[in-house]
Amino acid sequence: MISDSITNASATAAPSARDFGKKKRTNRTAKLKQSKLGLRREQWLSQVAMVNKGGKEEMDANRKPGSEKSDQRDRPVVNLDGHQRGEEDDNNSGANRHESFMESLSNSPNSILSGMNSIPNFSSSSSSGSGGSCSGNITEEEDADDDGCLDDWEAIADALAADDEKHEKENPPEFSEEHEHENIQQSACESDVAVSRKQKSNQAWRPDDELRPQGLPNLGKQRSSPVMNFHYSSVAVPSSCPICYEDLDLTDSNFLPCPCGFRLCLFCHKTICDGDGRCPGCRKPYERNTVKVETSVQGGGLTIRLARSSSMFCRS
Amino acid sequence: MQTSRARLFKEYKEVQREKVADPDIQLVCDDTNIFKWTALIKGPSETPYEGGVFQLAFAVPEPYPLQPPQVRFLTKIFHPNVHFKTGEICLDILKNAWSPAWTLQSVCRAIIALMAHPEPDSPLNCDSGNLLRSGDVRGFNSMARMYTRLAAMPKKG
Repeated sequence: MISDSITNASATAAPSARDFGKKKRTNRTAKLKQSKLGLRREQWLSQVAMVNKGGKEEMDANRKPGSEKSDQRDRPVVNLDGHQRGEEDDNNSGANRHESFMESLSNSPNSILSGMNSIPNFSSSSSSGSGGSCSGNITEEEDADDDGCLDDWEAIADALAADDEKHEKENPPEFSEEHEHENIQQSACESDVAVSRKQKSNQAWRPDDELRPQGLPNLGKQRSSPVMNFHYSSVAVPSSCPICYEDLDLTDSNFLPCPCGFRLCLFCHKTICDGDGRCPGCRKPYERNTVKVETSVQGGGLTIRLARSSSMFCRS
Repeated sequence: MQTSRARLFKEYKEVQREKVADPDIQLVCDDTNIFKWTALIKGPSETPYEGGVFQLAFAVPEPYPLQPPQVRFLTKIFHPNVHFKTGEICLDILKNAWSPAWTLQSVCRAIIALMAHPEPDSPLNCDSGNLLRSGDVRGFNSMARMYTRLAAMPKKG
């Protein structure tokens, strides 16, 4: 999985690197900052993965306790992550989007944002590698949060540019050494920028090379598992009825008879209502009113019909 | 009638598919009657039943899964919640706490859990229950181990 994430990251980053090739001079500093941010994130990720088993929010809070801007900083990163994944149905369309994004930003003085751009690259590719089938759901969820934040990009970019001045001084010495090295290497093989970028992403792991391979999968699990659980409990619909094992059709899968979220087909619900009338999931008696309310809350012609039919079941 | 048969057939296929998943449970359907099942379960480790293999008989009623299957031990076992002579099991999920979402496989798991955590306050085997209730864990363990060796282990030599 780790190698997957590397190749993904370099694949998505490659077009943007080509774009850099046109304006190497002007964007040298931007690249530096980008790699710095990438490094810092990598180190922070592995630290968190080793030390802190907590959730993502905790990690965000830990990231930069010193600066006030860190919250503002982190939030757009996360949202951008979700946003890009939304566009990123496959690698090509995602790459195109990166390119246009970069072009529009590279002219502006706030080219630090291109550095920010690399962070979502890493996180989105790694988590889509590990998250697997649930990535679509994540996208929906995070897209909903996006709308407010993305309007404010210009202001955030300004704030970040100002913020980065501070960060440069705060950088620990071992990082600056690392950057020197990278800088030399970049100038050595400027003709093939994509290759140097690939090496650079390998180098970003060097400070804690031994920790990194362990840390990445752990993090992937951390990130994906709460989301998976969340969707399993509330959204995911089993493909077959857990009582009769018959496949759930469209009507059945929209039928939510109990607040505990246990789903079953209408036939089994009827037979249970005729009998002891308790939900197989939580063993609490089905509340007949709740059935109607639950279904009508969901709205739509289909579910209204459902409400009627289920009330008929209960009367019989 | 039709639902229980269909469901049992699906469970049978599930059991065949996940045979390796749970090595402690071996669930077999009767060749001629899908409503009769037998199961072999391994005694849980760190209990006096460790090392024993216990045979269970399932009799599935017609309204299954709305009604629980009737399960009893065919192998003799010294356990507070199992009748020593008939093998009847006192387990809430086999009585009023049954849920149609349970399967024969999950019933087996529940029985293994019951073997590891006996409940001496609702005993079917009063001798066993009294030993535990009076705090004579050592006495209970040695009795249970003895019967495990006698009844649930392959004879040696």
